[in-house]
Amino acid sequence: MALRLRLSAVPAAALLAALAAAALVAGRGWTVAAIAAILFLTCLYARGRSRVYLAGALSSAVGLFLLTPLLVVEGTHVLWRGPIVPVIGELDVTREELASSAVQALRLAAVTLAFAAYALLVDHDRLLRAAGSARRSVLGVALATRLLPTLQRDAAGLVVALRGRGVDVGGTRGRARLLGPLLAGSLERGLGLAEAMEARGFGRPGKTNLPAKPWTLLDWAAVGAAAAIVLGGFLWL
Amino acid sequence: MALAEVEGLAHRYADGLAAALNDVSLIVEPGEVVALLGPSGSGKSTLIRALAGLVPHFHGGRFSGSVRVAGLDTRTSRPADLAGTVATVFQDPEDQIVMTGVLGEVAFGLENLGVQPSELEARALTALEAVGAGDLAGRRADTLSGGELQRVCLASALAVAPRLLLLDEPTSQLDPEAADRFVALAADLARQRGTAVVLAEQRPARALANADRVVFLDRGRVVLDAQSAAARSWLRANRPAFAPREAVTLPAEHDQRGDGVVSALDRVSYAYGGGHLVLDGVSLDLRRGEVVALTGRNGAGKTTLARLAAGLLTPDSGASRLTGRAGYLPQDSGRYLVCERVDDEVGLGGHKSTRALRDLGLVGFEHRHPRDLSSGERERVTLAAVLAPDPDLLVLDEPTRGMDPERKEELAALVRAQARRRATLVVTHDLVFAGDVADREIALGTREEALV
Repeated sequence: MALRLRLSAVPAAALLAALAAAALVAGRGWTVAAIAAILFLTCLYARGRSRVYLAGALSSAVGLFLLTPLLVVEGTHVLWRGPIVPVIGELDVTREELASSAVQALRLAAVTLAFAAYALLVDHDRLLRAAGSARRSVLGVALATRLLPTLQRDAAGLVVALRGRGVDVGGTRGRARLLGPLLAGSLERGLGLAEAMEARGFGRPGKTNLPAKPWTLLDWAAVGAAAAIVLGGFLWL
Repeated sequence: MALAEVEGLAHRYADGLAAALNDVSLIVEPGEVVALLGPSGSGKSTLIRALAGLVPHFHGGRFSGSVRVAGLDTRTSRPADLAGTVATVFQDPEDQIVMTGVLGEVAFGLENLGVQPSELEARALTALEAVGAGDLAGRRADTLSGGELQRVCLASALAVAPRLLLLDEPTSQLDPEAADRFVALAADLARQRGTAVVLAEQRPARALANADRVVFLDRGRVVLDAQSAAARSWLRANRPAFAPREAVTLPAEHDQRGDGVVSALDRVSYAYGGGHLVLDGVSLDLRRGEVVALTGRNGAGKTTLARLAAGLLTPDSGASRLTGRAGYLPQDSGRYLVCERVDDEVGLGGHKSTRALRDLGLVGFEHRHPRDLSSGERERVTLAAVLAPDPDLLVLDEPTRGMDPERKEELAALVRAQARRRATLVVTHDLVFAGDVADREIALGTREEALV
């Protein structure tokens, strides 16, 4: 699959960051929902690879939507009254809490979907080349972004390996047991990568870059749109 | 004048119990292809890392003696300083890919060396085309197969036009034909350019076919340094497991050895995530008492078929039947360790570990942390963990990857010794090992080809 997005890396990243920022500052629920929907559709552009990101974004948003009404006290229109829980107090759910938690969940979904679109569709190599003196930081972010699909692949391999030994990895405890080995495995991979980078001259003075392609009108329009989205988010949305 | 000179080199890793290299002296001439052979843990990878300057700069430890490459002393020149002169292809391609896109990945080393921006793309494309991967230039690295990644890694190494090319078991993910082509290509390109190559390889026939000279390491010492023809004679006399030999042709049909069918697949088809069919209408039965080798090219569906046989996947169509318990050892099993002690790892799931530990030569290792072990020892731990429940069907997926010939003979002997207790399916690219271990062979073709 070729690198897909037609925008240059910097305008694409700016546009995604602007959408995430607008989702955070916008006050109207329908505006946040529209931003989340746009980002959701953008992620679908990556087809099969987007599944894990979409699942993560949607499950965290649903989790936030379900938990928030139980943990905050807001509004007077009580829809459900539950038991008294130590420390938290009486559990209840009001119409206002539901509305507020829906907006918060949409905000979270929008931000995570913006990250997903960045991870899936932006050409990190070109972003890295545009980073100038921040190259090391941007490379760190790019490598960390790749961690998620690598962890997903390692987790799938670990589950198969354990099932192959007759060990059940179902349930929360079973899956929680995988976290330590996955972390250890990713550290081992990181060590291998660091060694390969050193062997390939990373950190030498006088580094050059593949020439960046000149920005198109679409790129300039995207940067303009990003600025407008952030401004609009503060003023009108 | 020698390109690389190693003199009296000794090295012990910071956490090492014994010296990884001991009094190693070696000279590599320009344009020479040198094969490094030796058992696992004999110091081949450490020597390659010493030639790249990664030992001692990256790994630390106690270092004595000297390594000079193109006049640069590795004690005072860091690996990054050697990068234009030396290029390394490591064993696992996934652990050395830095950039997201293939073109950027091949250009990464050139950028670090300060090559003029106007030359970068052309040199990266030329290197990709030289290894037959020009069509991959626009792809994301995370969409490539293991074999494609290894070619990209070779292109990245060749792009910098090194004077010394170091290949550390670079064909571990390739089927025999692809691996032969890969090593021959690397050797040919190097000879054309006058580049010296040091190749560490666990399949001696491939190394001997392409090398001018063979260096055999054992317990960190050079025990042979000879031209290829002389090395063949020495290997036959002294380390027969390392001497190249022809693979035995195995029958495809059952003999009378097999008893009851333990696992049966009847016209099964399978596609991952609703994508293209990996297997289409495949049938297979595995009987107690027989060892079956499953061979075929990369991407033919061997692992999928093995997982279906072990009940780890359910076919999209067709029928599968498994009688009793299956044990499955995946590829790169040493990565998949979850416990902090070897005996806990082997006994995970409540299985008795004593016998499996003894069978795999792991007595005395019980209290060690599995991740502190060498890669070969880790894979013995995971094999012991698969054998501990005494499965009725044992499926081994590429169990000899990265394993030296002597260890392969031991593994074949172990599988054969326990063969009567179960049905065994061995997925392998190693046709010599297949001949040693199996009663019959199933060669899995591409989807278009007929099967069993």
